[in-house]
Amino acid sequence: MHTWIMYDIVNDRARTRIAKYCKQAGLYRVQYSVFLGTISAEEKDVLELQIAQEIDEETDKVYIFPMGPSAMRQTVCLGQALDKKLVTDQIKALFF
Amino acid sequence: MQIHLNTYGTYLHVSDQLFEVRRKEEGQVVKQQFAAQKVKSFWVNKGVALSADAIQLAMQHNVDIVFLDGSGHPYSRVWHSKLGSTTLIRKEQLRASLGTEALHYTQQWLGNKLENQIDFIKRLASHRPQQDDYLQERLARIIILREKLISLNGDHISEVADTIRGLEGSAGRLYFEVLSAVLPKHYQFAGRSSRPAVDPFNAFLNYAYGILYSRVEKALILAGLDPHLGFLHRDGYNHKSMVYDFIESFRIFGEEPVFRLFSGKKVRQDHVDELANGVSLNKEGKILLIERFNKHFEEERIRYRGRNQTRSNIIQFEAHQFANELINPDQ
Repeated sequence: MHTWIMYDIVNDRARTRIAKYCKQAGLYRVQYSVFLGTISAEEKDVLELQIAQEIDEETDKVYIFPMGPSAMRQTVCLGQALDKKLVTDQIKALFF
Repeated sequence: MQIHLNTYGTYLHVSDQLFEVRRKEEGQVVKQQFAAQKVKSFWVNKGVALSADAIQLAMQHNVDIVFLDGSGHPYSRVWHSKLGSTTLIRKEQLRASLGTEALHYTQQWLGNKLENQIDFIKRLASHRPQQDDYLQERLARIIILREKLISLNGDHISEVADTIRGLEGSAGRLYFEVLSAVLPKHYQFAGRSSRPAVDPFNAFLNYAYGILYSRVEKALILAGLDPHLGFLHRDGYNHKSMVYDFIESFRIFGEEPVFRLFSGKKVRQDHVDELANGVSLNKEGKILLIERFNKHFEEERIRYRGRNQTRSNIIQFEAHQFANELINPDQ
């Protein structure tokens, strides 16, 4: 499922670690504190637990936001925005 | 996704448990990271470096690493050293190779190959009424060769192996002569050539077959079969004889996208580099081929055993089916 994660984290080290977990789960960084990608329900659960361990309940904010395919199709991206094909796993091959 | 590493100086390593591809672009170092579970395979060409950590991360996530030479032939791969399945399958494969079953399977696979050639020529003929006489004549000859091939009898494949190779070879020559004859003049070619290919068509086809070999080998390993233990192809030191036997039914999966690139006039002279005695696909040529091949092989679905399947899945399914037949001969 397509999943957005957005956060405001006060502590620098916790924020770095959360970004790392998001990348390792297969999400792509679409803005400094926003990740998006296609992951399984299990991967989403694991990520939720990893993030929950890092945050300070008093100061930090995290949104984990699943999005259905039809909503994703209607999403509009302008300017230097994300590569919609990449984040929805439609790119089958990359060349370097 | 598949990641193809073609450019000299590209480095694949691990950073934060992510694959990182590092390369120079206009003097600047460019890095791109990929989560291990997003990558299915790496296709590594000459001039590319990779770290031991990258191999370890790949093995932990069942990511296949395939090494290709200049003509696209997969000369090696890194895959964990476990069997895909039970050893019983390999024992039965060995037993089958020694008896009449080897002949029956070989006839079945080569029969499929010739049937695919026949079907393809029929489809070509339906759009080319002005060449109909020529196509029908070649078609009739391949149909006869196929009938001879599938009606051969013997207690052991070695008794008829030379005849089989002769029939198959004759069909192949007719088939490729037809493919050449229906292409625009400047794309036509004189038969098959490899290492090196002497014309762009063969350069594209060799590369497509190379990818297909590697996919067939993987399908066999995953099904628990031994890629080295062939039925028709002789045992040789490190020969992947079963890959060469089993691929026969699926060669059309490589031939059709290559043919379409040429018949659709997508191939340009600058997709190949001239060698002293032939031509080889360059980076632009590889991208053109791989994108078309992937679309045909991984995305398009065809009707198969009552379901819509990708060609990639069909190969895996057939490999499992073959393994099951070996261990349950009565079913």
